[in-house]
Amino acid sequence: MSGRSEADRRQRETTLQRLIRRPEAGALVVMIVAIVAITIASNGNALNALGIKNNLAIIAQFGIIATGAAMLMIAGEFDLSIGSMIGFSGMSMAMMLKWGLPFGLGAATPFLAFTITLCMTLFFGWLIGTIVVRSGLSSFIVSLAFLFFLRGTTEVCFRLINQSTQISGLPDFKEDSLFARIFGGEAFGFLYDIAFALGFNLNRRGEQWVTGVDARVVWWIVIAGAAYIVLSRTQLGNWIFATGDNKEAARANGVPVNRVKIGLFMFTAFCATVFAACQVFDTNTADAAKGNLMELNAIAIAVVGGTLMTGGFGSIIGVVFGAVTFGLVANAVFYIPWLDGSWYRVFVGAVLLAAVFANERIRKRITGGI
Amino acid sequence: MTEPYLRVENIVKKFGPFTALNGVSLEVFPGEVHALLGDNGAGKSTLIKTLAGVHEPTSGQLYIEGKPVKFRSPRDASSAGIGTVYQDLAVNPLISVTRNFFMGRELYRGPKGLGLLKMSEMDKIAHDEMLKIGIDISDPQQAVGTMSGGQRQTLAIARAIYFGAKVLILDEPTSALGQKQQMEVLKTMMRVRKRGDIAIIFITHNEIHSQLVADRYTFLALGQVIGAGKAGDLEHDEIRRLMAGGAEMADLEQELAGI
Repeated sequence: MSGRSEADRRQRETTLQRLIRRPEAGALVVMIVAIVAITIASNGNALNALGIKNNLAIIAQFGIIATGAAMLMIAGEFDLSIGSMIGFSGMSMAMMLKWGLPFGLGAATPFLAFTITLCMTLFFGWLIGTIVVRSGLSSFIVSLAFLFFLRGTTEVCFRLINQSTQISGLPDFKEDSLFARIFGGEAFGFLYDIAFALGFNLNRRGEQWVTGVDARVVWWIVIAGAAYIVLSRTQLGNWIFATGDNKEAARANGVPVNRVKIGLFMFTAFCATVFAACQVFDTNTADAAKGNLMELNAIAIAVVGGTLMTGGFGSIIGVVFGAVTFGLVANAVFYIPWLDGSWYRVFVGAVLLAAVFANERIRKRITGGI
Repeated sequence: MTEPYLRVENIVKKFGPFTALNGVSLEVFPGEVHALLGDNGAGKSTLIKTLAGVHEPTSGQLYIEGKPVKFRSPRDASSAGIGTVYQDLAVNPLISVTRNFFMGRELYRGPKGLGLLKMSEMDKIAHDEMLKIGIDISDPQQAVGTMSGGQRQTLAIARAIYFGAKVLILDEPTSALGQKQQMEVLKTMMRVRKRGDIAIIFITHNEIHSQLVADRYTFLALGQVIGAGKAGDLEHDEIRRLMAGGAEMADLEQELAGI
């Protein structure tokens, strides 16, 4: 025996090699490029006091649903119903707030409207998950069915009860409902106060310009933070990775594969409901078309963040980088006057393709293909 | 001789009109390697699935340490100390050695499910347990996909032992491996055997491998035991004859020559 073992053939990696191999490495590079390019092209307007607020509003929206989509993809499934779920829950909440609780149970408070809606969306998430795990059908097709079903239901309910597919001019519940402020109010006002005290954040008359960012930013931070901890530090996180990688192996070792999957379908439904609640209570409006195509944005962001299409691998930090990138680019048209807004989709397509190739390369390196 | 840890008595398993096992009996002793040989379709897979709790036998009885037992699920079998390492090993290539080692049985503090993983403790256990049966992995956080087939086999075996297997069923652990890695797996088996408290059921097609490690043999053909015995009592040619389901090698040579 030469004293050499199989283990000696594998070099211990340097810290840099380790970082490059991480799933979020590519997303970080793309994010930095996007931030620099947009800052220069907008003469810094994209990152002034109002720019940060407006950018974070859309970044947080993307971030909330992309976190749900990424967790589910890591467990090996897709949810195409996210966008329709947003439309459905927005309709449900606004309709209760305008027309009162169903079956004539009286007027709805923001809390009741949200809770009842959440019960319904969690039920739909449970139903999608249960159909997927019981039938063994592809989640792509099952959730596609719900994409149509929920969007159609939303429009039919709107027309039946409301005679119009929009609701606008709801009273501003934020004024006297703390619950509405949790979703539609503002947060981190103190940072803007400090910036004002330091001489930034002034409008043309020299008064304080922006008072805080949207509350959905807090929701994004909470959801992404919780998802990060669950995925990397908890037992459930290990179950999620194991389920997405090889579900038969996971099952043979006692991982409750079906419950993990159903739970994550409910989590994406929860994310969609939070998305809708923030929108409804912020703007006091609802529209049957809300959330259209959001499921595809969420999946694209998850992939750009380093999540594998085949499951078993991914990173919430990468999804955060992806959401920042997509949000900035989607909003860039407001700060760069000569820019055609459709470049956003060109960008998404190009970055998505590049990310899929990069992810495949990482997967092969991990499984010893390279 | 001590009493067998596992005794299989007259197991019959029928799938509809098809009889997969027709009255199979065998005894498995701690500290021994029991080679289970037979051609494709002999009933080896059905037998191990019955032992692993995947199938319930149509009739017959299993005894653990002399006491009759009945397995309704793989969980029953594993809590009775039967650890099965299947050919596909039930490992996940994209996640780390430690995460695979503790898959479904993680160490955590706090509530079940959302409890925080004790990662450094699990790293240490995974590393030490694999070292005990002969593989020193440099980094328990490396993905299983980067390991060789022999190392993956070791991971699966170490995992089964750590979680209380007293009977280790290895389903063709040396097939689909290179020559050197096959030897690694055989060495691993011998290290486990040396502990003295674990019985190994070694399913294989390879008579040379079985002769290198086995203490006891059972040969299956068409769902029945066609021969059994201790290593010293069986001749090389007899083993080869039984391997081929009872066909005489000389006959086969003649047949081949006649083509």
